[in-house]
Amino acid sequence: MAKVGVYVCHCGSNIAGVIDVATVRDFAETLPDVVIARKDLFMCSDSGQEMVKQDVRDGLVDRVVVAACTPRTHEPIFRAAIEKAGLNKYLFEMANIRDQGSWVHGHDHEGATEKAKKIVASAVGKARFLEPLEDKFVPVTNAALVIGAGIGGISAALELANMGHKTYLVEKRPSIGGVMAQLDKTFPTNDCSACILTPKMVEAYNHPNIETLTYSEVDDASGYIGNFTIKIRQKQTYVDWSRCTGCGDCATKCPAKTADEFNAGLSDRRAAYIMFPQAVPKKAVVDINHCINCADRDIGTLPKINKKTGRPILAPCERSCQAEAINRSIAHNPDGAIRKIEVGSIVIATGYQVMDKDWFKEMAPACPNVITALQLERIISATGPTEGKLLRPSDKEKPRTITFVSCMGSRDEHFHTYCSRFCCMYMIKQARLIKEKYPDMVINMHFIDVRAAGKEYDEYYVGARKMGINLFKGKVGGLEMLTEDKLRVLAYDMESATSIEYESDLVVLATAVELPPDATALAQKLGLQFCGSNFFRELHPKLGPVETATEGLFLAGCCQGPKDIPDTVAQAKGAAAAAAVPLAQGRVRIDPIISEVHSEKCSGCGICIPLCPYHAITMQTYADRPRAQIEMSSCKGCGVCTSACPSGAIVLHGYEESQIFAQIEALTA
Amino acid sequence: MIVDQNKINEAVSTVVGYGGEHILNCVQCGACSAVCPGVKAGFPLLCRHLIRSLLNGNLEEIIEDSSSWGCQACNRCTEVCPQGVRPQEVVFAFRRYQANQLAFSTSSVTSQMNLFETGHAVYTDPREARKKVGLPEETPTSAFDEQAKKEIQTLINNSPMGALGLF
Repeated sequence: MAKVGVYVCHCGSNIAGVIDVATVRDFAETLPDVVIARKDLFMCSDSGQEMVKQDVRDGLVDRVVVAACTPRTHEPIFRAAIEKAGLNKYLFEMANIRDQGSWVHGHDHEGATEKAKKIVASAVGKARFLEPLEDKFVPVTNAALVIGAGIGGISAALELANMGHKTYLVEKRPSIGGVMAQLDKTFPTNDCSACILTPKMVEAYNHPNIETLTYSEVDDASGYIGNFTIKIRQKQTYVDWSRCTGCGDCATKCPAKTADEFNAGLSDRRAAYIMFPQAVPKKAVVDINHCINCADRDIGTLPKINKKTGRPILAPCERSCQAEAINRSIAHNPDGAIRKIEVGSIVIATGYQVMDKDWFKEMAPACPNVITALQLERIISATGPTEGKLLRPSDKEKPRTITFVSCMGSRDEHFHTYCSRFCCMYMIKQARLIKEKYPDMVINMHFIDVRAAGKEYDEYYVGARKMGINLFKGKVGGLEMLTEDKLRVLAYDMESATSIEYESDLVVLATAVELPPDATALAQKLGLQFCGSNFFRELHPKLGPVETATEGLFLAGCCQGPKDIPDTVAQAKGAAAAAAVPLAQGRVRIDPIISEVHSEKCSGCGICIPLCPYHAITMQTYADRPRAQIEMSSCKGCGVCTSACPSGAIVLHGYEESQIFAQIEALTA
Repeated sequence: MIVDQNKINEAVSTVVGYGGEHILNCVQCGACSAVCPGVKAGFPLLCRHLIRSLLNGNLEEIIEDSSSWGCQACNRCTEVCPQGVRPQEVVFAFRRYQANQLAFSTSSVTSQMNLFETGHAVYTDPREARKKVGLPEETPTSAFDEQAKKEIQTLINNSPMGALGLF
């Protein structure tokens, strides 16, 4: 006979404000096999846990039911408590009377109390049949993967590598650096972005423990915490990187042009190109989608021979390459190469994109002098299309009036309801940099609110006012195109309740931060979830900001939600620390709540094999006949095989038939 | 309203020149207006709103507004301002600008005449009331001291106030 102890939690007023805890406790006492029922203000507090432990130590109870909140956060706490008191930790069952009781039935105290009784009865029913289980452990591959090599990915990779773990740093673009490499200066200290970023890029690239794979993407992922197998697609560069010296001659000779992504489309780059002057690695790539196949010669075919000289007619890119890194006669595989790597944990730091101006029809997107803030960043950057000179796109003239518009696509029901968090600050930074350089420039900034939360941020913002930058409360409602590529700004000053109309030479839109579309495919491959704002979902918004629902996957930077550089680096280092835990432990615990085949009952029909979503079941010979067998490290305990087995040969530990039927019986009593 | 940087610069430099040095610090939080007795009395252009108007480049446009003369100089705005704007100094600076443009409110003329004639900006003849309660009718202040009055008038005539030609 089991001796079940039931402990009902008030959770302050979270539960007790709706549910009559005393009534639930009284009821629990009447349930079969229940020897003790107690209640406490906070069961998870030290005193609450001690109460349970004492009852276990005194030999009063050998099964524990806590009626409280969600097992997602609190089951591990109580399991650890009873284990400490000497009981097998799986002899514990949680009754969630908060999330499934008081929180959803706040309007109906009596009904919620009745439901709580049922939930407790069901948990007790199951607890009576609980069996002790043992944790299982599997060894770990001591290596980490960091996906995305912006400042977040670089920071995480350096941290992991410095802890001594082999780290793969994978970046889809030809160079590491991310968006930060595109920035001019950084708030609130105005230090040059490249000056602080490029040393980190070089450090990561040259680190003995980091293997950087650029122009590469995750093609496929399988496995589980401690033992992931990742297929990395190294995209076809059409350039032999072992020979390429990064001189850039191919890029100057290539005649094919396309928009330069690094300059946010403000200038053209060639089909053969180096991403930017400080690229790491500094290697050329032939972008085959924009290659025009000079002289009608497809890549992978031999060159024609000049009849006069008898020498081959080479394409400009290969002719210009002194290092002989470009050979268009080779039949390169357009799909690139697949590299298989084994890692124990993964940090995802894939970053963000900003919305395009074309979404905002009221903002005269057709006018070349309406630009996104990232484009302005390129214009004022010394490595940008104007070498840092502030010239507006339409006529390459210096503007006299510049307008900044906040919250384009952020805090907007039509696009994204969230605040993009760092636009206020970068707009103020851009305005300050321009005002410093050109004190006579008229700068008008329009905000819904100025959000300058951060160390030294508000001082930076007030400093902008002191510099004579005009700030108006009120979002710009629209822009009208005027002659000479000027714009009429339709705005409002809420502080004096006055409408504003003026002509501007250049309008900068702070467009919203969002996940790039290719993040969806990555999420599917890795099993990541999305949050309501359509960023990757963390395990817990407060207490698990770097973890995900999948063990072994960690998040850093803007892929988890908009954040500035300091916050990204902080989260990246946190993610690296969390990702290093399984690597440092050398083994990971496998929850024993997994399925097992009773080979003597198994008929070998094989129905379970295709049903398993984790490919955990194989046929193995047992007593000379094929029988199903489950690989415990792959099993996630979903129970599909258990319910499908016609012979009843598969048991799911922790959810055994006797336990589930006891629950049903209690709920239907 | 159009945003005219020249007008904004003129308004700011005028106010700064008359002593409202920290006008650009203002973040329009509104704390000054929350404690201002003039705002409570219904003067529309005091503290935050005056500063906003000036920062929008309005100077001449608001010269005839009498709100600034409603300032009681209690200085509570200065105490509560989180950005060190010293709003009262801005109000006074604007007043000085108004005075120099001879844009006085009638309310201000009376008190200035009082000051010139009696040495008190706020003055009512106290004699009758004092007599009623058995006090000496005349107070020992400049109001009944011809020598003191003369000195005060000399001071005023030789100050910028004298240059206004009111007296």
